[in-house]
Amino acid sequence: MSKIMPLIRNETIKMVKKKRLYIIFIVLAVLVPMFTYAQMKSAENNRDKFGGDWRLELQQAITDNQNSLGSDRVPEEYKKYRTVYIQQMQYYLENDVNPEEPNGVTFTREFMNNAVGLFIPLLIMAIASDLVSGERTTGTIKMLLTRPVKRWKVLFSKLVTLIMFVSIIVVSAYIICYVISGAVFGYKGFGMPIFTGFKVVGTDVDLSAVHAVDQWLYLLMQAGLIWFVSVIVAILAFMVSVLVRSTAASIVIMMAALIAGTILTNMAASWQSAKYLFMVNLELPDYLSGGLPPIEGMNLGFSLIVLSVWGIASLIVSFLVFTKRDILN
Amino acid sequence: MKRKTLDSAPWIWRTISTVSVLATLLLLFGFGYAIKDVIFPEGDPALGTRQSSNTPADEASKPAAPVEDGKIRMAVIGDSLARGTGDDEGLGFVRRAGNLLKEQGYDVQVLNNLGVNGLRTEALLSKLDEQGVRYVLQQSNFILLSIGANDLFQGGQVLQGEDPPTAETLAAALPETSKRLQEILKKVKEINPDAQIAYIGLYNPFGDVKELEVPGNAVVAAWNDAALQILNQEDKMTLVPTFDLFENHLGEYLSSDHFHPNGAGYEEIAVRIAQEYQAETPAEGSTN
Repeated sequence: MSKIMPLIRNETIKMVKKKRLYIIFIVLAVLVPMFTYAQMKSAENNRDKFGGDWRLELQQAITDNQNSLGSDRVPEEYKKYRTVYIQQMQYYLENDVNPEEPNGVTFTREFMNNAVGLFIPLLIMAIASDLVSGERTTGTIKMLLTRPVKRWKVLFSKLVTLIMFVSIIVVSAYIICYVISGAVFGYKGFGMPIFTGFKVVGTDVDLSAVHAVDQWLYLLMQAGLIWFVSVIVAILAFMVSVLVRSTAASIVIMMAALIAGTILTNMAASWQSAKYLFMVNLELPDYLSGGLPPIEGMNLGFSLIVLSVWGIASLIVSFLVFTKRDILN
Repeated sequence: MKRKTLDSAPWIWRTISTVSVLATLLLLFGFGYAIKDVIFPEGDPALGTRQSSNTPADEASKPAAPVEDGKIRMAVIGDSLARGTGDDEGLGFVRRAGNLLKEQGYDVQVLNNLGVNGLRTEALLSKLDEQGVRYVLQQSNFILLSIGANDLFQGGQVLQGEDPPTAETLAAALPETSKRLQEILKKVKEINPDAQIAYIGLYNPFGDVKELEVPGNAVVAAWNDAALQILNQEDKMTLVPTFDLFENHLGEYLSSDHFHPNGAGYEEIAVRIAQEYQAETPAEGSTN
């Protein structure tokens, strides 16, 4: 055990020296202003139409969705989503709370909600995918493994470092998003109430468990769920990087899986067993806001178990392969 | 180079490890809290659907009514006609009427179009209990209402359906529906006693279908009569007649679904709405 800390420390230093880590922050710093600008434009547009009255705007959104329910051209799946949406928005109106009050905190919440499925995992992959395969490409793995340290300890130190940086990336994504969008929308909004606890039963929303939480707490819960997703994605990418020799291949494999996930969530409602795939279970924050799950029968407990099983299985595979396989040639 | 690495290493390590441990703890807490909150949620009894909110406390908590600045705030509620279905330009009579009033020099804002395709009187009655709908009506001072056609004509399905309505079935639906219209108007008035309310009368879309012309005309006339009787009892409520507009111009004013008006048809209705508004409050807020 005594050898672990220096190893982690060593890995951390290596990670910090990597340019790829900074690319993550640069990507965030470039993309967030773009979304902020788009959001600002659409807010301006709505202000012109509804005189800045969010209640009128929200009621119009409800009515427009109600109209699409009657249309034969709208797929049944969309109708389910919209029925749930209508009921939630009516709840907000009835309690006189603006769900989209424009401020930096709300923007951050919305941005992260949309980022969890693809964007955040992508950032995580940037550091996870070459953790082992990268050392093989450069040949430095030999230096590591010829030292008198057990192989599993080497791998374990890499894993711990990875999770440390996952935490840092998730937190910094929040901070960067809040700081940049706040400059436009204002830094207020932490105390704003957000409703959670909507239970979707069929297309009906059970309101008995709904309660308001302050937005800062909501953000914290959301961050926790996003962190869990990120850790699982990191572990999976980590496994792929153990199994595959080249970093490029490792990134492509993970990318393909993730993109398949976003496509599946949009269209696989009729394919029931797709719910056991990890990439369909990434949208954990949706359980917080009470959206309709992509496949019937999914809930937070289910998704957590599916993700955990995938995570644990990947860990087992990673360690077995790394300790048993002849890596040095 | 080597020296530099050695020098900066402890500093980097200390910062990164502290930050990451703190971040992980924070996120773990959030994760745990989220699980607790989603899987074992505690409903707040203080919240809830405040559907039928006629209590004075509720009304008091509402934002104050808009200032009387002479601005026309229009809102429309009701069925597909209110929505503007069939209008190629998607304006419907509310935006067209708004534009006409604007041309006359009024300051007009069309607040909301709350028309829902296929809406019937019953559904509209329960809609009027929704907070958002009430709010919209409270904010406007010129409310347009279009309802009843779906109750009487089953949304135009009669044309494709097997059994066209007979004079009897049409007449049978009349008393119930007109009673609900009365309730609707009463409720709208209750929600906003100061607004001018214009009810858009029905026309007979089946005037050129031989076996439907006579019973259709009869029931539409009876309906409009019933509506007029209700509207006459209240001030600030008017009927916008459309029956005569469409009677001999169905080909001209109906859209391809042969039930809803087309752009020209909506324009005709809008002209009448604009006239009705003037008749009520001549030149108020007008810059002409």
